[in-house]
Amino acid sequence: MPLRNTTRRWGAIAQAFHWVIVALIVVQVTLAGMADDLPNGMRKLTLLARHKSVGITILGLVILRLAWRWVNEHPPLPENLKRYEQALARFSHVALYVLLVAVPLSGWTMSSARGFPVSWFGFLQLPDLVPKSRPLYEALLTTHHTLAWTLLALITLHAVAALKHHFWHKDDVLKRMLPFTRT
Amino acid sequence: MRHPMLWQALAATLLAGGACDAVRAAAPPAAAAAAPAAVAARYTLDPAKSSLEFTFLQAGAKDTGRFPRFAVTLDCPGADPAGGRLEVTVEVAAVDTGDQDRDDVLRSDDLFAVAKFPRAHFLATRIVKTAAGYEADGALTIRGVTRDTKVPFTFREATEGGVAVGYLTGKTVVRRLDFGVGQGDWKATDQAGNEVTVSFALRLTRAAR
Repeated sequence: MPLRNTTRRWGAIAQAFHWVIVALIVVQVTLAGMADDLPNGMRKLTLLARHKSVGITILGLVILRLAWRWVNEHPPLPENLKRYEQALARFSHVALYVLLVAVPLSGWTMSSARGFPVSWFGFLQLPDLVPKSRPLYEALLTTHHTLAWTLLALITLHAVAALKHHFWHKDDVLKRMLPFTRT
Repeated sequence: MRHPMLWQALAATLLAGGACDAVRAAAPPAAAAAAPAAVAARYTLDPAKSSLEFTFLQAGAKDTGRFPRFAVTLDCPGADPAGGRLEVTVEVAAVDTGDQDRDDVLRSDDLFAVAKFPRAHFLATRIVKTAAGYEADGALTIRGVTRDTKVPFTFREATEGGVAVGYLTGKTVVRRLDFGVGQGDWKATDQAGNEVTVSFALRLTRAAR
């Protein structure tokens, strides 16, 4: 499989970005869910510290992924789509990228507003994006949750659409993002 | 010579010029001799212009808290703190890291356990002059555990508006687990660092005698 994209399928690098980010989002949802149920204490602190580190990792990967997409051609939407379907597909992909940036960014900002600086796995302390403010923290907490749930809903829609293309339309849309397949 | 400290202090009081002259004049040697230690000058805290802070590592990031309520007494036997006595009492329950949830966790039984140990205490009965300033050699008690602790500091005298004041500043590293601040899960140090840097910038005023 070539590293770069072709007009027929996604290359190894784009696929790696896609599937690694999928795996990290599963980790994020798990960590957040586990931390939510805990009282304030060491375990919650540990889980949330990892959640923040993984979130920053996703943010970095998404920026690299967008850059890679920018310098690379990519397979077009399938021709059998109606115009409004193409518009919807474009909109949902843009929304996915926007949310992949906005969710970690809102989490980072929320941490800054809380007065808890973010560290990337203890190696690198990130700068605070906003000054400490309790009302701002509470607003950003709600924002972070809303954006995260929106992202999850959109990811579900995205996955269902991919499966529909594969099993219903029997086209290459899913296969061209899967390693070890032929298109 | 049953009380060498006392004689030294008396001699220092009689011989030392400068800062402690006024106090020596006010306190005749007989009165000084009756006291447990000859005190040429006693300084107490000006809380409004003093701070006691601590810097710690939380989840890999540096953060700062403070103790807003504490008391300090510094007794100078001579012209400076050397040979003197320093006592600090900190209301641990008033700990303030700028986050209510975190402060509540800090006050809980696994950390400061303020219900049982509301105060931390430092008493140095040996203060020596060093190249950089002074060092208070004393006993630090936190969460009911007492350990010998040396605290370096600098001391500068000044007269402000006719009042004799002293500026006492310094910092020292305290390992929280040495004092049992961290039971259960909090014994781990990867998310809450063991080393806590305590720094102080105190304005002391000389008590009238």
